[in-house]
Amino acid sequence: MHVDLIGIGALVLIAGLLARAGRRFGMPTVPFYMLAGILLGPATPGPVLVEHPEDLALLAALGLVLLLFHLGVEFPVEQVLGSGRRLLIAAGSYIVINVSTGFGIGAILGWGLRESLVIAGALGISSSAIVTKLLIELRRLTNAETPAILGIIVIEDLFLALYLALLTPVLSGGSGGDLAFDMATSFGFLVLLFLFARFGARALGGLIGSNEDELLAVLVVGVVLLVAGTSAEVGVSDAIGALLIGLVVSRTKLKARVEKLVLPLRDVFAAVFFVAFGLSIDVGALASVAPAVALAVVATVAANLAAGLVTARLFGFNQRAAANIGLTVLGRGEFSLILATLALAAGLDERIGPFIALYVLVLAIVSPVLAARSRPLARVIPDRLFRSNWTYVREQTMSTACTHLDRVQVTETDADECPRCVENGDEWVHLRMCLTCGAVACCDDSVNKHATAHYEQFGHPLIRTIEPGEDWRYCYIDGALVQAPIGASR
Amino acid sequence: MQELPGVGKRYDLAFGQGGQRLSVVVRRDGTRDLYAFAERGDDEPAAVIELTEEQARILAAVLSATFFDD
Repeated sequence: MHVDLIGIGALVLIAGLLARAGRRFGMPTVPFYMLAGILLGPATPGPVLVEHPEDLALLAALGLVLLLFHLGVEFPVEQVLGSGRRLLIAAGSYIVINVSTGFGIGAILGWGLRESLVIAGALGISSSAIVTKLLIELRRLTNAETPAILGIIVIEDLFLALYLALLTPVLSGGSGGDLAFDMATSFGFLVLLFLFARFGARALGGLIGSNEDELLAVLVVGVVLLVAGTSAEVGVSDAIGALLIGLVVSRTKLKARVEKLVLPLRDVFAAVFFVAFGLSIDVGALASVAPAVALAVVATVAANLAAGLVTARLFGFNQRAAANIGLTVLGRGEFSLILATLALAAGLDERIGPFIALYVLVLAIVSPVLAARSRPLARVIPDRLFRSNWTYVREQTMSTACTHLDRVQVTETDADECPRCVENGDEWVHLRMCLTCGAVACCDDSVNKHATAHYEQFGHPLIRTIEPGEDWRYCYIDGALVQAPIGASR
Repeated sequence: MQELPGVGKRYDLAFGQGGQRLSVVVRRDGTRDLYAFAERGDDEPAAVIELTEEQARILAAVLSATFFDD
């Protein structure tokens, strides 16, 4: 067997260099791996490093399987189950809005029903890796909306598993009775694996457990490939098999070690998977799908902003948080490419490849740029879209990192005047209430600024607005808008 | 303490000195992000420092005034 190590090595090296250059500008890595594949592939004029994408087929398959396996291993099951109704509703709305928008775009393009289903998933499901990295880079880990964003993308990952299970039998092209049978098999296999995850974790731990990292890595990879292969054999995609065996492993004591051991393997082989996808893309075809991609990008941004507003309403966030949610969850990457790969393997319309490739590339550039500029957007989002009125504070970042919430003693009052202003015969603009002693005083736009004076005199840190239709709290010590954190314990 | 699903846990500390506060994010891979808010009114952190597990341990030793040779 002849292996072209020179071509593969050079290609992976260049992919890595491109991705590193992109990181300097805060761009995600996945699109750049793919770009290397596109630029140096056989369908693009210029130098060709790997003649046949099939040469990378085995490595790319490993990448796909390890990507989903790792997703399963690190899936925070307990946090999702305990995340509460609001988050589930927010994530559900996010998914419904985005996936149906994606399906709508697919329908407009008119490439076919199965194609539309693939596009629905590729446009609707964001990349958890890209979104998480973006939040870290934008230094937003203490923002009030960040736990909501993270919760949404984690639930999206779960949705991806179900969507893949639904899609695989559809893609294999059966119809009517066949399709129903395939779907039943597919879901049956899922249920089997879920049961295994529930009851068989210990047995699996016994099978692959070892104190030596070397052996653990070998045993894990063996089991994962076997399960993924078996899944593909029974008509469920290898991706789902890998994801579910990951969930099983995450319930064993080996979880932390496996997560660490598999991570570098996943990173390398997943990069090869993205490169291999790029190899199959013809640069010439990119131009012909450009208008469709432009439409898809605009629709995705709109759908994400809508979902951001819904989430902000649910959690009582302000404009800035809504803009942050919508523009951060915009990142698309690995899942879109996985869906495109499945579609191409099933022989669907070939335009899906370049369409999703270009879409992911454009969003890779658009999403970090937009997410970093959420403030101007927050300025123009009208108040009437929110439950409460954020007249003065719509652009301010909301924080949950306030440690003074334990000083809240009083939250309601009937008072409708500033007593010290009344005493002096002065006017005031708006009223604030001290959450520690319940004193009502005038705001900083009023001549006397009695609320701030009250803080300076007594040191009571938190106030709330008592203007009708407004509902925000402010901490003088932290100088920040404050929100009781989601599911926090102090 | 606040859970950050898929990332880790966040701990918030304030010392009552004119809005100075720290948030520490402990990521699941052991990386620590130190968010420092220097003055009241900052709605964005004044500094964010990313530490590896090892660096975090050294910092902790220095902060707790443990004497050590490196």
